[in-house]
Amino acid sequence: MPPAIRTDDLVKEYGDVRALDGLSLSVPQGSFFGLLGPNGAGKTTFINTLVGLVRKTSGTAEVFGHDVEADYRDARDAIGLAPQEFNVDRFFPIREVLMHKAGYHGVGEDEAADRAAEALETVGLGGKAETRFDWLSGGMKRRFMLARAMVTDPDLLILDEPTAGVDVELRHDLWDVIRDLNDDGTTILLTTHYIEEAERLCDQVAIIDSGRKVTVATPDDLTERGTDLVTLTLDAAPTGTPAISADGIDSVAVDGSTVTLRANSGSEAVPIAVRQLEAAGHRVHDVDVSRTSLEDVFVDITRTGGDATDGSGGSVDPDTGDDGDAESPEVTL
Amino acid sequence: MSVVSRGLQSLTRREILRFVRRPYNTFLPPFITNILYFSVFGVILGDRISDIGGVPYIQFILPGLVVLGAVSNAFENASFSIFHGRWNEYIHEALTSPLAYWEMVVAYVVSSALRGILIGILIAGIGAAFTPVRTLANPFYAVAFLGVITTLFAAFGVIGGLVAEDFDHLTVLNQFILRPLVFFGGVFYSLDALSGVARTASYLNPMVYMVNGVRYGVIGVSDIQPDTSLVVLSGLTVAVLVVDVWLFKRGYGLTD
Repeated sequence: MPPAIRTDDLVKEYGDVRALDGLSLSVPQGSFFGLLGPNGAGKTTFINTLVGLVRKTSGTAEVFGHDVEADYRDARDAIGLAPQEFNVDRFFPIREVLMHKAGYHGVGEDEAADRAAEALETVGLGGKAETRFDWLSGGMKRRFMLARAMVTDPDLLILDEPTAGVDVELRHDLWDVIRDLNDDGTTILLTTHYIEEAERLCDQVAIIDSGRKVTVATPDDLTERGTDLVTLTLDAAPTGTPAISADGIDSVAVDGSTVTLRANSGSEAVPIAVRQLEAAGHRVHDVDVSRTSLEDVFVDITRTGGDATDGSGGSVDPDTGDDGDAESPEVTL
Repeated sequence: MSVVSRGLQSLTRREILRFVRRPYNTFLPPFITNILYFSVFGVILGDRISDIGGVPYIQFILPGLVVLGAVSNAFENASFSIFHGRWNEYIHEALTSPLAYWEMVVAYVVSSALRGILIGILIAGIGAAFTPVRTLANPFYAVAFLGVITTLFAAFGVIGGLVAEDFDHLTVLNQFILRPLVFFGGVFYSLDALSGVARTASYLNPMVYMVNGVRYGVIGVSDIQPDTSLVVLSGLTVAVLVVDVWLFKRGYGLTD
């Protein structure tokens, strides 16, 4: 069974700029895959390469085993795309826009009409079927983008910032729709700036930066790689930085009567720190452990630009077993 | 099973509905303009202009006006539809679908040629109200020339829509290239009215062959032998269609 998406050494150059710099990635069928990266990381270029809106400079890209250029019709037929920008036909009511899109994918007129009605109902736009796109509110437009991506019944749904600019309630509604599709077997590729979205929805997350894969892992694995922040409040300010040392404790700092530790595992570091502080004559008044969020990890990774390589740790491509190469440096968090 | 794929049917239908549902934009302007043409050049000035080839002037200009309207609309429809789709990026709906490149080209060309033919028929109808012309002198040539030239200009329109980078470029293509070719293509005069360099230069204008071909089909009068014109224009049409498909395949103006 080929992966839903497989790219190998994918390169896209715009003049001197390398938007994709040897990106190798594999997205398993049926997965809910997140693609994270800062602005300009190459996420949209990557997506547009898959659907034929960007022509790759070199490398290979396949969708369900179909090369996106040599076998473009099969590759595109498998994809439903909800792009970041609103690129909807303004000449027709949204019901007809959906019917046209389904028709381009070979769906007969009657079935296209049924699918259009169903897609609009699913995203809560059933009452707006005869409205043109321009007359929809911002949230409705975003919902319509999802409906258009769904109407062709794709095996791979690509969602590029699907909830950008929508309120919390609508975002949760859209999550429910997307989750249902994934439960029914549709592979989802999601790019988002809402880390919480990736954390809640995705089985796996790839972080890319400067057109390169930095890491691929589950959200839990990524957060595990981060360091927890342990804050200990003492009865009295120590005269200097207390000596606390143990495997897994990276740093110790003091500010007045507050001692903060960076540790791989906050829960393991707390009893060690308390014991060593009390042995040194300090009395611990309060303890707080702050878990690393995926957002913290993301910021750390992209801030270092994937250059913080020391050869240890890092990710393994779940599909290929690839543990990275010179063009896809791994990071230690 | 239909040889025309569902995808091709859908895109063609979309393109046709786009102009059919806007009659004030599609049909009213050529209707008004051609009533004015026939009124001024035919009724008011026509009596002061002597017959051309034994045909009253108002009848002589009828086929030329049909060509003028038909090719202008075929060209404008294809170029506008593609450029507008690119400008607003909704052409991506078709580009990201499993339509073959040749199917996209056929959809744009067929729908645009159809618009040209419909406008040609509309103008012929107006002409029938102003002239005694009720039947076609050579129906095969009238239909064949109208079909070929609208297809040719729709195919040119596809190129225009792909290469234009601004609405200004569409205006330049239409007003400064297409329209002069049409007006110097013998719509309002016979080549017999020209001599020397002007006449020789006219033979380099493809519009001359188109106008004379349709004129032969409608009123049986032509400055040029129609068969050769029809073959050459058909060949040119095929060549431009091949260029269209090649441009789509390359993603010219469509992909990054």
